[in-house]
Amino acid sequence: MDKENLVTMANQIGAFYETMPDRAKALSDIAEHIKKFWDPRMRRELLDYIDQPGEQALHLIPVVTESIRLNRAKL
Amino acid sequence: MVIGANPAAAHPVFASQMKRRLRQGAKLIVIDPRSTEMVKSPHVEAQYHLKLRPGTNVAIITALAHVIMTEELHDAEFVAQRCDTKSFADWKQFVMRAENSPEAMAAVTGVPAEEIRGAARLYATGNNGAIYYGLGVTEHAQGSTMVMGIANLAMATGNVGREGVGVNPLRGQNNVQGSCDMGSFPHELPGYRHISDSTVRSQFEAEWKCTLDPEPGLRIPNMFDAALDGSFKGLYCEGEDIAQSDPNTQHVTAALTAMECIVVQDLFLNETAKFAHVFLPGSSFLEKDGTFTNAERRISRVRKVMPPKAGKSDWEVTVALANALGYPMHYNHPSEIMDEIAALTPSFHGVNYRKIDQLGSIQWPCNEKAPNGTPTMHIDQFVRGKGQFIITQFIATTEKVTQKYPLILTTGRILSQYNVGAQTRRTENVRWHSEDVLEMHPHDAEERNIREGNWVGIESRAGQTVLRAVITERVQPGVVYTTFHFPESGANVITTDNSDWATNCPEYKVTAVQVMPVTQHSEWQKNFAHFTEDQLALLHAEQLAPVGSASN
Repeated sequence: MDKENLVTMANQIGAFYETMPDRAKALSDIAEHIKKFWDPRMRRELLDYIDQPGEQALHLIPVVTESIRLNRAKL
Repeated sequence: MVIGANPAAAHPVFASQMKRRLRQGAKLIVIDPRSTEMVKSPHVEAQYHLKLRPGTNVAIITALAHVIMTEELHDAEFVAQRCDTKSFADWKQFVMRAENSPEAMAAVTGVPAEEIRGAARLYATGNNGAIYYGLGVTEHAQGSTMVMGIANLAMATGNVGREGVGVNPLRGQNNVQGSCDMGSFPHELPGYRHISDSTVRSQFEAEWKCTLDPEPGLRIPNMFDAALDGSFKGLYCEGEDIAQSDPNTQHVTAALTAMECIVVQDLFLNETAKFAHVFLPGSSFLEKDGTFTNAERRISRVRKVMPPKAGKSDWEVTVALANALGYPMHYNHPSEIMDEIAALTPSFHGVNYRKIDQLGSIQWPCNEKAPNGTPTMHIDQFVRGKGQFIITQFIATTEKVTQKYPLILTTGRILSQYNVGAQTRRTENVRWHSEDVLEMHPHDAEERNIREGNWVGIESRAGQTVLRAVITERVQPGVVYTTFHFPESGANVITTDNSDWATNCPEYKVTAVQVMPVTQHSEWQKNFAHFTEDQLALLHAEQLAPVGSASN
């Protein structure tokens, strides 16, 4: 899968939920959305991407990174 | 209120009904970047036309909500009885911020604040306010957010749950509703139930005698990406022409070329068929029995009036394919398929062909609680219980205008051609519309020394194509517009991979482009013409080859 596309998609999802008033729910909803609507190979590649050390993880906005780290087991 | 839709061109049956109501005195608000027939034409004159910049729908809907809440035009009683109090309070606080006022948003939307204020007052105080929206809402990076914004507005003004109001999507094709109802999303079973629901899944597994994958599958744009990395190898494409209809054509054709097995089933050898390994003939609506479900959830019968020219109706081809693949499938008639749908889907429990014939049509849900169907939904309560307000922060698309790409291209349809034109441009309809053209404002044309009828090159970050220019004030300065009915136009050569954050619906409505005069077709168009010639030559050779000869 095109990693750049996956990062863009994840950031779009994060940007929507980030504006919700309940931060804890927003973090949970981001992961929930990805779990419900992304094919497993897309989720796997996103997790691999996050695991990579260095600059690349910076391309994900912080709310997405935080959501995935908190809810990794679900994904 | 009609948002991002031009029913006169794309939904003529609905348009005629709407015109009847307008003649009877109904008021009309149009939110659209173009001056369409819905703004002013015989029997139609909108009270307000919010001629927004493409890509700013969410800013407009939030500004409308700002006016309604700050001027206390909302239906407090409806909200108190029917909606979730906490989410309403959060939403109210959000929309009332100064940054969401029409005055603040005017810089983003390009719409004068007073027009937004007037439209908001008319919608909120018109007694019965109905919203109809089209692909000009959904085909955006924030399409889903906009639909939520529309629902917020309807709930806040109490315009839900009775006849003459509501949130009404005008679907892209005649049976989009029916396809969605039947679980044509990669994560759903019929009746909008998620595939991960083990109780629901087990009912289908028992009926179909197989095990179903509990995980969501890939959506179309993700399939293309997966094809290019080699993990998605085959496609069964029935009644759809993705090589023409999907954005970023060069990306799509690269993905189709990378697949190992493409089966196309269609009435015509369409653009996708040029990439097919197997072509199966489709049947028209006159050659098959079945149902179509329209935007008001109305299930109507389709009746076969002649035997299929190719020997089988579409559903029979699919059944034959399943059997050939080793999965036994048998139905004597589509009514048996409907019986299976009814048995497995609560909102369809009461639907069968006999009842559809008796009643003429049925609006789902149709079951024990509503044996004759449900003409109006959400009368006493929402499906989820209390109506939930959602915050709809405007987030500008990443498809931004720059010095290199200073114009925004948006797309739409014309009455005489249907969608990608597979069924209509092979008919005499070409007398009315024989080519796609590029509409541009006189100021933009003059700046570029472009005159009516000139060939112009349209270049985006994705690609380049060439169309003939039509100079018109229907479009606003800074915006150009085209239809996408002819494959050689390459409208989707220039649209990008951007898509909606929730659904991945492509953002067809916003592409940053430059337009300049040219004297010849684009490289893509030349390659397309050669490719088409080659394909037709191969087809011709195949047809002339003796029966039984080897073929590729």
